[in-house]
Amino acid sequence: MADPDAGRDARTRRAAGRGSLAVMLLPALMAVVGLFGGGLFLGILQGLGHLPGAGLSRLSATHFSRVWSDPDFLTSFGLTLYIAAVSTLVAAVISVVAALALSRLVNRYRAVHFVFQVPLTVPHLVIAVAVLFMISPAGLLARVAAAAGLIQAPADFPLLVNDRWSIGIILTYVWKEIPFITLMLLAVLQNAGRELLDVGRTLKADAWQRFRHIVLPTIFPALGAASLIVFAYTFGAFEVPYLLGRTYPMTLPVWAYKHYSDIDLLARPEGIATGILIAGMVAAAVVTAQALTRAARKKGIVL
Amino acid sequence: MRALGTRLLAPAILVAVGLPFATLGVWSLAERWFFPDLWPQAWGLRAWRYVFATAGGQVAAALVQSVAVATATSLVSVVVALPAARALGLYDFRGKDTISVLLTLPVIVPPLSVAMGLHLWFIRLGLAETFVGVVAVHLTFCLPYAVFVLWGVFSNYNPDFESQARSLGASQLRVWRQVMLPMVMPGLIVAGLFAFLLSWSQYLSTLIIGGGRLTTLPVLLFALMGSGDRPVAAAVSIVFVLPAFVALLFSARHLGGQSLAGVR
Amino acid sequence: MGALSLKNLTIHYGRQPVVADFDLDIRDGEMVSLLGPSGAGKTTILKVVAGLLAPTRGAILIDGQAVTDLPPEKRDAVMIFQKPLLFPFMNVQQNIAFGLKMRGDSGDRRARAVAHILALTRLDGLGRRKVHELSGGQQQRVALARALVLEPAILLMDEPLSNLDANLRQEMRELILGIQSELGITTLFVTHDQAEALMMSQRVALLLEGRLRQVGSPRELYHRPADPDVARFFGGDNFIQGRMRDGVFETDFGPFPVEAVSGNGHRRTATIRPEDIQLVTDTGDQPDHLPGTVKRTRFEGMATRAWVSCPSGELVVLTPRSGLSAGQAVQLRLPPEKIRIFPD
Ligand SMILES: Nc1ncnc2c1ncn2[C@@H]1O[C@H](COP(=O)(O)OP(=O)(O)O)[C@@H](O)[C@H]1O
Ligand SMILES: [Mg+2]
Repeated sequence: MADPDAGRDARTRRAAGRGSLAVMLLPALMAVVGLFGGGLFLGILQGLGHLPGAGLSRLSATHFSRVWSDPDFLTSFGLTLYIAAVSTLVAAVISVVAALALSRLVNRYRAVHFVFQVPLTVPHLVIAVAVLFMISPAGLLARVAAAAGLIQAPADFPLLVNDRWSIGIILTYVWKEIPFITLMLLAVLQNAGRELLDVGRTLKADAWQRFRHIVLPTIFPALGAASLIVFAYTFGAFEVPYLLGRTYPMTLPVWAYKHYSDIDLLARPEGIATGILIAGMVAAAVVTAQALTRAARKKGIVL
Repeated sequence: MRALGTRLLAPAILVAVGLPFATLGVWSLAERWFFPDLWPQAWGLRAWRYVFATAGGQVAAALVQSVAVATATSLVSVVVALPAARALGLYDFRGKDTISVLLTLPVIVPPLSVAMGLHLWFIRLGLAETFVGVVAVHLTFCLPYAVFVLWGVFSNYNPDFESQARSLGASQLRVWRQVMLPMVMPGLIVAGLFAFLLSWSQYLSTLIIGGGRLTTLPVLLFALMGSGDRPVAAAVSIVFVLPAFVALLFSARHLGGQSLAGVR
Repeated sequence: MGALSLKNLTIHYGRQPVVADFDLDIRDGEMVSLLGPSGAGKTTILKVVAGLLAPTRGAILIDGQAVTDLPPEKRDAVMIFQKPLLFPFMNVQQNIAFGLKMRGDSGDRRARAVAHILALTRLDGLGRRKVHELSGGQQQRVALARALVLEPAILLMDEPLSNLDANLRQEMRELILGIQSELGITTLFVTHDQAEALMMSQRVALLLEGRLRQVGSPRELYHRPADPDVARFFGGDNFIQGRMRDGVFETDFGPFPVEAVSGNGHRRTATIRPEDIQLVTDTGDQPDHLPGTVKRTRFEGMATRAWVSCPSGELVVLTPRSGLSAGQAVQLRLPPEKIRIFPD
């Protein structure tokens, strides 16, 4: 381990010239502002009805308000929020338990740690395909049920993909995101957790108190950050709900792309406007969560 | 009770992680596999022959395309991110928080919002349906990710090593090459892997900017899923995860077991 | 309120033995220093006493009651670690109140106890500070306050001063000594610094490689080391071989009369501290002086250390005399009363 203070000392001592800092930062900032900022800005313009060739004079909020007032929008929003919230919550809860269990186990079994990293590297799409093969009406699970004599035909099997409760989508996300959150928590627990837990024990905290007053506050920043990233991803992702979701209602990203790629070119600005709304909602969720955490911390509330 | 739970944990993880791949593996080797059999009625290599030969090397072409896009994205990300991360990790300056927020947004805002906005502009610039265009749209989220990984690396980096090397007579350029680079190399590799994997699994932004002309593996896999040929879809899925496994094995061997925590 | 008794503790990490047959009794209200070089097993012993680690064998008794099988949270002993290990997500008073809260004390009682302990540890006014805004010394004082506020029967301190700079360390020593004697808490104070051990407590226990080598007053350990290893640990460099004969210890450096006549005819080892050897530069033979030549010298502030080569071997001398130089002829006197002959 490098001494974390080492860099800090040097940082306060050293003042890089403004010029050289700018040179170091500029390429990255230009790329992000140009491509990402530019993409969002142009998206907003097009959502406001700007067409190439036409000036900026005819901008209006028509597309946005059309999207907004479409009754399907609210349904889609609800579905998207449901999927993102449930996936994040389930993954977060399981991850906390898994991280605690693994923090005892990992030092002894490196293989477990390795296996746990596998899902990190696997594309969502592949897991969606595998989940489809496993829990669709003619999938592996249905065949097991048939072998056990529980069902006779695929139609008897409860619908778990393209279903009302989005079980398949949530299952895919949970499988993918548990290792992501767990490994973030493990890193924190392994660095600071063990010693602080010993302190807690000698200060007379029992097992539950140690979890509540030491473990949770220790992992909370990492848990919060990881959960936010998962929430943002699952809220804005396209592949999994497209593959495993129902045709109606659709999640917002699927809805946005449907409009965007509609043969009716008039639907395109609405698709873009929806995309901008998704971006705005995700950003708002993240900003709100961070503001709430900061306010709580300022009031001295631990966790 | 606890001992039993702990003992069951490792096998449980193994099964949960392994099952999807086992399912895909068996499907890719199935010739006929009708409900309600638990095991294929006939085995065969049809799907794999398709992957390796038929359709004019469609899968091979997609594989090459995917590798090219992800490699280019990853290299540009790391090269551009390195100096920026050094500035952010080693120095305190005004506007650092703003930059942090600016870099956080692309990580959380879904790529589809950006890709739809960029498309029209790229058409006019002649970047739509091109390799460069697709790499550019992947950069919008891969580059900030690489900056964050390397920012963490430079926060733990002690620049006094460089001063030491300078005082021992090394030139600035040599110091960068022979002191800084070796010290941040593991982090650099992790950042590169992150960017590679992120780009590798991108579907929608590739489709929007590439317009179907740039067929990467996920684009192909989606098309195959539509056709309903399960063995072939399973085989292509396996091809699609292989580089990820290679990356994981590589990181386990060469990065001293440094975890990939943070990869998405 | 808390006598601590460690009986026959043997501790392993896995198969690796770390501490063997460790016995120590601490009276109620007493402070004992556990001294030993890094890696000797000091932290390990404290963890066992605190209950964070189970001994392979042996027992821990507080006031005669065996607590060996109690978990740490049920033991009336609190440990202060080498690093302050303050909870980073709590401010100073939340840190200090932690143990009280776990015990279920009311907010009112907690506030009063915290205010009192803040004053005692000279942290007044810092209660609402964030932990990372404190200096190293302040952080260690918070760790001390966090333990003291529980009024434990036994206080275990693991090198609490080793991360502080020299001036601060002196100040903290005074503070700890003052509080310990005021509250009368039975304390086991671990340190690797011999000077610190000697000044902190009436009794010092020396641990070398997991074994307790000597327990006694600072003077005893310093002037009457139990064996050559103990002597070496306290900076004794001179070892003299010899044989006991009729109340005389016969050596190459001359005969030394001894008071207790025992072990006639046996070979023994003796030591004499460098500062106990008298060095004279006058020429002219004196009957009980050994001639020698200075090989090299090192100025150490209050004294000069000289390596003197005598016909019968080399001796290290610490002398207030200045102006010695290599090659100079000197004479040494080894006062018989300063010779420490080790028991067999
Ligand atoms: N968790 C552990 N596992 C294995 N060996 C350890 C562990 N902790 C300490 N040791 C070994 O036990 C011995 C005593 O360590 P410790 O009690 O920390 O020494 P001290 O506190 O006196 O410096 C050392 O040799 C150390 O390497
Ligand atoms: Mg120690």
